[in-house]
Amino acid sequence: MSLSRRKLLGASGLSALALGCNRDRAAPAAAPEFTGQSPERGHLLRSAALLDAPIDARLRTGVVIVGGGAAGFSAAWRLQKLGFNDFTMLELEAEIGGTARSGALPRSAHPMGAHYLPAPPRECSELLELLTDLGLLVGYEHDGTPEYRSTAICAAPEERHFHAGTWHPGLYPGDGETPEQAQQWERFWERLRELDRARDANGELLFRLPVRRSAAGLRGLDRISIAQWLDAQGFDSWRLRWYVDYACRDDYGCTLDQTSAFAALHHFLARGLEDTREEPLLTWPGGNGELLASMRARLELGERLKTDHIVYAIDPERGQLRVRDLAAERTIMIEAQAILWAAPRFVLRHVLPRDRDPLATNAMTYAPWLVANLELREAPGGVGAELAWDNVPVIQDPAARNLGYVLATHQEGRDRAIEAGAVITYYQPLVAHDPAGLAKHRAHLLASDAGVLSEQVLGALEHMHPGIRRHLGAIHIHRWGHAMIRPTPGHLFGGSLDVARAPIGCVRACASDVGGLPLFEEAFYAAIEGADWALDRIGRA
Amino acid sequence: MTPATEAANAPSPSTRLLLFWVLVVATCGLVYELITATMASYLLGDSVTQFSLVIGVYLSAMGLGSWLSRFVEHRLANRFVHVQLIIAVVGGFSAPALFLGFSVLDDIRPVLFAILIIIGTLVGLEIPLLMRLMPGKQELKDLVARVLAFDYIGALLASIVFPLVLLPWLGLVRTSLLFGCLNAGVALWSARAFVRQLVRPRWVTLQALIVLLATGSCLLIGGQIETFGERQLYESPVIFSQKTRYQRLTITRWSDDIRLYIDGNLQFSSADEHRYHESLVHPAFAAREQLASSPARNVLVLGGGDGLAVRELLRYPGVQRIDLVDLDPEMTRLFSETPALAQLNAGSLADPRVVVHNADAMRWLEQQRSGGGPASEAKLAPWDIIVIDLPDPNNLSLGKLYSRAFYRLVRAVLAPDGVAVVQSTSPYLSPRAFWCIVATLDAADMHPLPYHAHVPSFGDWGFALAARSPLQPPAKLAFELPQPQELRFLSPELVPTLFAFPADQQPHEVEPNRLDTQMLVRYYDQDLHSFGPLTRRAGS
Repeated sequence: MSLSRRKLLGASGLSALALGCNRDRAAPAAAPEFTGQSPERGHLLRSAALLDAPIDARLRTGVVIVGGGAAGFSAAWRLQKLGFNDFTMLELEAEIGGTARSGALPRSAHPMGAHYLPAPPRECSELLELLTDLGLLVGYEHDGTPEYRSTAICAAPEERHFHAGTWHPGLYPGDGETPEQAQQWERFWERLRELDRARDANGELLFRLPVRRSAAGLRGLDRISIAQWLDAQGFDSWRLRWYVDYACRDDYGCTLDQTSAFAALHHFLARGLEDTREEPLLTWPGGNGELLASMRARLELGERLKTDHIVYAIDPERGQLRVRDLAAERTIMIEAQAILWAAPRFVLRHVLPRDRDPLATNAMTYAPWLVANLELREAPGGVGAELAWDNVPVIQDPAARNLGYVLATHQEGRDRAIEAGAVITYYQPLVAHDPAGLAKHRAHLLASDAGVLSEQVLGALEHMHPGIRRHLGAIHIHRWGHAMIRPTPGHLFGGSLDVARAPIGCVRACASDVGGLPLFEEAFYAAIEGADWALDRIGRA
Repeated sequence: MTPATEAANAPSPSTRLLLFWVLVVATCGLVYELITATMASYLLGDSVTQFSLVIGVYLSAMGLGSWLSRFVEHRLANRFVHVQLIIAVVGGFSAPALFLGFSVLDDIRPVLFAILIIIGTLVGLEIPLLMRLMPGKQELKDLVARVLAFDYIGALLASIVFPLVLLPWLGLVRTSLLFGCLNAGVALWSARAFVRQLVRPRWVTLQALIVLLATGSCLLIGGQIETFGERQLYESPVIFSQKTRYQRLTITRWSDDIRLYIDGNLQFSSADEHRYHESLVHPAFAAREQLASSPARNVLVLGGGDGLAVRELLRYPGVQRIDLVDLDPEMTRLFSETPALAQLNAGSLADPRVVVHNADAMRWLEQQRSGGGPASEAKLAPWDIIVIDLPDPNNLSLGKLYSRAFYRLVRAVLAPDGVAVVQSTSPYLSPRAFWCIVATLDAADMHPLPYHAHVPSFGDWGFALAARSPLQPPAKLAFELPQPQELRFLSPELVPTLFAFPADQQPHEVEPNRLDTQMLVRYYDQDLHSFGPLTRRAGS
């Protein structure tokens, strides 16, 4: 008996019977396991043994790109685009992707982290050029509207939320709202529309991508939290605040009072107002990892991409990197004219000579995330709005909130969608107010075995789908200690990003975190500017 | 008075009452047999075999039941009431269960025969039980004569009422539920009447009440079950039925009329499919002559796995290659390998000019746009004519194939002087959906030109021509068509009239169908709900 049949039986009022069969027949789920980024790899930097290893080989290259994620591949794309091929990319893990890594379960590929890219605004011409190169942007209509590859456009229904036992379309929990709450919701959008129309004295946009291009007019909003901004506007509707809190957690891994008001408004405004913009979201079953895989295929890096390579020491004056090949167990000395640090900025401190990093400890903080992928033998249903791409529970207690799940199999064609079952990706940012709280979450992620974390995930999912365990085929847990840069108040325009971005000798950091926001667009622009800087430095530009 | 003394004083049911029950349960028994046989011939085809098998199995099961009755020695009244209740449940729900089973199981026969054997055995058991429950001392000859007479009268009653009244007026589902109620009613009545003989009479009465309520309430909501079940019920005998990976294909035949259903929805009737397919194919060629000077050579068909549109395309000698993309390999195989069906499409799918691709149309086209699929395949695009013959947009996965993004894709693989045509649902039954498809083509920069034709099986049916530059309604058939007189529906005079819409079918104000909003599926649903269950051409 196949699963789609069970679904039909259930729908026809024989569910009790069908569930009875299910319980007897369901094969036990595979034991939970960790996949994806390994915390142990990064922590190798803490071991002194690396430093003592003798050099086995030497290598010279024009530019070294450290990190094979969104920033690393963007930098490589830019270098190659400008005709410069003498670079080497080093990736710590065995697989590329960084926080945009993809994985696979038998039913479908799935994301482990970043999983979509909103079609960029037209001023992001370089990003549009990348998408054209990758065959994702296939042309422009008469009026200049870009046209995207149809299979990458996130199809309706995009979102639903689970509130009071029922699924509702969209993400605003508006069912049962009071007139006052409805009016606040209206007023909130009216306020956003005003901000969207506003320009500074020179006619510049106030919220732009990358964020540092935003005009100065409203930068003061970076000093307060979005919670304070909502208070000041008289927005006290819990529904509205839940909605904004969800957006902050989803994009930044922060709560309302941890997110800079500028950053939160930037989420709504940087690509034009969400309720009027025509451009789609682009997504793939494997998330943004598929985007990176197609960049990789296009770049034909060959030997220039070295996975399983950990950079453990950099001499920023001589341009020397000491690298350990973890697969071959060899130590390599690489000499380069410029080094693009396309890895998290906080790691740089650990590979530079002591006291060489001008950035204060904890000047930048990162949100840990718990992500899990579940192979289900039956697609999740529920009462009310039908299964969407993004499925979010409305949870009153801020401490208990998670972001629900995204359906990895949403983009399948009719030929695949007919198969029973689904893969869903559960997302939960672990929020905390201070570095100590974040450290506690990281310790929990590190100390817990896969069974404990899988219980945490299943418990959260059972709130929406009480029977989900019966359909569970496998569960893969991904632990992200430092998944996202946190745009807390003061982070964007308080000065520390300038320090973080500034070159140190021949090293320049260029991942999304030094852009300021944990977005593909920030990684892309930080990286292409880094690439341009590197070419400048070696006199090729 | 205590319950016990009350029971003791209650009179035994009279002989007359018992004979009435014999009549009722005999009628019920035969009705179930007829329901099962009818379902078997509807669903499995070959009615002679199905009826013979059902009658044989049912009668032998009755014999088994009669024989088993010798092992029932105690609590006769309890046994009788319980037998009635089981028949009420199994028989009453037999038709809904078979419909349901048919749509979800690969092979319905095990369920069908299980139901048949259970009912047959119990019906065979109940008559001997009733005989033994007859009051007083009666001579065997009288007893047998009366009981069997009523038994056979019941059978006669059922065999007359079933085809003349029940099937046409109630349908199978409600008939089976109604007779389930009758069995449950007899159970309840006999539980009251046999109260003296029963062990735990209240408990038995309660059970009978529950079953009566269950069958009764299902009968009342039977209308809904009906729409679910009756969709599966075809108007003519089934000659073929197969559940493929993607859908259930059913072919019925009544005299010369062959019909194809996908998941219970009519796709074509051989009596008038020529109207649909001629209207789908020929106006596109006629319109293309406004744009192009050379005959169409490459043609793409999206959907249309029945090969009927291809049959029309092959009338054009200039056509050198036809690529047909249909999701379901079973569908294209069926229509190329089954003689009766290949005869309908004149063997079109076996023509050397036709290349069949079994794939999701959107993914396949996306591959073509980005420069071809597998390296072994030469670049196929652009096409001079593109025929989009997909099932109606009744769900989100089909809705994608009517989206602006999809039509942009079609535009990208259409030759600059090419013409596409889209089957666009009924402008009469689902006007918002029809005009939404037109608006979507317009939003995709495809200059739509809507038209319609009358296809009796479907009603007024809509299509839209589309091209990269504006089209005028063609005034006649294409010059390229060598034998226009071979067409059975379209004539040169009729062609321009297809493009006129009467006053009550003017364009509706609708939004185009975008992939990320899927308005079309919503319009289609709304339209159908305002017209009732007149779904046509809807597929999986």
